[in-house]
Amino acid sequence: MSEEHVYTVSELNRSARGMLETEFADVWLRGEVSEIKRAASGHLYFTLKDEDSEISAVRFRSRTSALTPVEVEQGMNVLALGKLTVYEPRGRYQFVASVLQPLGVGALQAAIEKLKARLDEEGLFDAAHKKPLPPYPLRIGVITSPSGAALRDIRSVLARRWPVAEVYLFPTSVQGESAPEELVSALDAAIRFSDQVQPLDVLILGRGGGSAEDLAAFSDERVIRAVFGCQIPIISAVGHEIDFAISDFVADLRAPTPASAAELVAPDCREVSETVCARVAWMTRIVAAHLTNRSDRLRANLRGYLFRLPGRKLETLSQRLDGLVDILARRVSQMFTLRVRRLAHFTDVLRLSDPRLPLHRGYSLTFLKDSAVALRDVARVTPGSEIVTQLATGRLQSRVEEVMDE
Amino acid sequence: MTIEEALAKLEEITQQLEKEELGLEEAITLFDEGLSLAATIKTQLEDAKLTVEQVLEKTKGTFTLEPLDLL
Repeated sequence: MSEEHVYTVSELNRSARGMLETEFADVWLRGEVSEIKRAASGHLYFTLKDEDSEISAVRFRSRTSALTPVEVEQGMNVLALGKLTVYEPRGRYQFVASVLQPLGVGALQAAIEKLKARLDEEGLFDAAHKKPLPPYPLRIGVITSPSGAALRDIRSVLARRWPVAEVYLFPTSVQGESAPEELVSALDAAIRFSDQVQPLDVLILGRGGGSAEDLAAFSDERVIRAVFGCQIPIISAVGHEIDFAISDFVADLRAPTPASAAELVAPDCREVSETVCARVAWMTRIVAAHLTNRSDRLRANLRGYLFRLPGRKLETLSQRLDGLVDILARRVSQMFTLRVRRLAHFTDVLRLSDPRLPLHRGYSLTFLKDSAVALRDVARVTPGSEIVTQLATGRLQSRVEEVMDE
Repeated sequence: MTIEEALAKLEEITQQLEKEELGLEEAITLFDEGLSLAATIKTQLEDAKLTVEQVLEKTKGTFTLEPLDLL
């Protein structure tokens, strides 16, 4: 380049850009975010500053995938990795960030990951240590803040789904300096309460959503070891779906939120109620089947005996016998029906035990014409067979065109 | 009897009822027992009201319970 060289503006900018990009290709930059502008293109424009100085910066959309998912906010202190460049059309130099993460949180996250890896290595998260949860817990211990959203959520879900439960709250703070110690002693109190006063079936340890710092107590090694040592089945429910804490890994079950911990911990009483009803309906049907069986056998035995009698009276006797057996069977079955009906709870049981109930849901029964036995196997049907289909409100008669195996 | 025990017992009764060789007397006894178990469970479920109590330990080893009224 001679001394007399006269640059055009473009040349100068291009040349400066080359120098800056070479000299500052991989720069770690720390600063406070301000003047954020999100362009429609997805690029993020902002200014990084410290007390005395500032620089305009951009994070291009194409690099987003390489970034931590944490959103950048006004006033946030960040650590950025990138290069310095010149935006030639304006002759402005700017910082192009390829990695951008909140400062402090990054360090905290790294420390948590490191601790998690160490405890994992040690075997604290092994499936072998996981205790099964009781299917119908009656006494549920909750370790959380008495004023937090977690307790409110757990309470309202349980009141709706499993009101037979008794909830015992062991109050503790869930964030701040003293939180880990308080969590450990609340857990310890729950365990001693369970041993000495009232056995607890299961514990829920958790809190509602918050910043990474707010959730940090649930990743504290003291808390993790206390959870690991707890002999009562324990659920960890920290923050929202995307949040995690190490307590999630060491607990017997991780719930994405406190509300879902309450759903996972207990069944829905309406389902249990239905199960009980279905069971009664099934018992009724079994007993009814026993009776049919018995009266059929009785009929056959008696008929065998009658055939050995001489002569004419046979037919009349046989008919009377059939009538008597029917009456007997009906009486016994009424007796059962009465027993069920006497219990007001089971008004819907008789409906459930009615074999025609599925018809009302759209199922149907198919018979060969003139047969009383419902078809279960297509092998009994050939093209041209006449069949009768029983629906909830009537019957259809049709002719089979084709038979297809499944 | 807890709900869990009652449900297990009900299951057991149903299985016994399913046995072919069961006598009528036996079947009726089992059936009655099953029904009253089922009624007990349903009553427990229907009459239940969730309680929430705060467990306080002012001096170590001495627990006091305080009902928590939440909104």
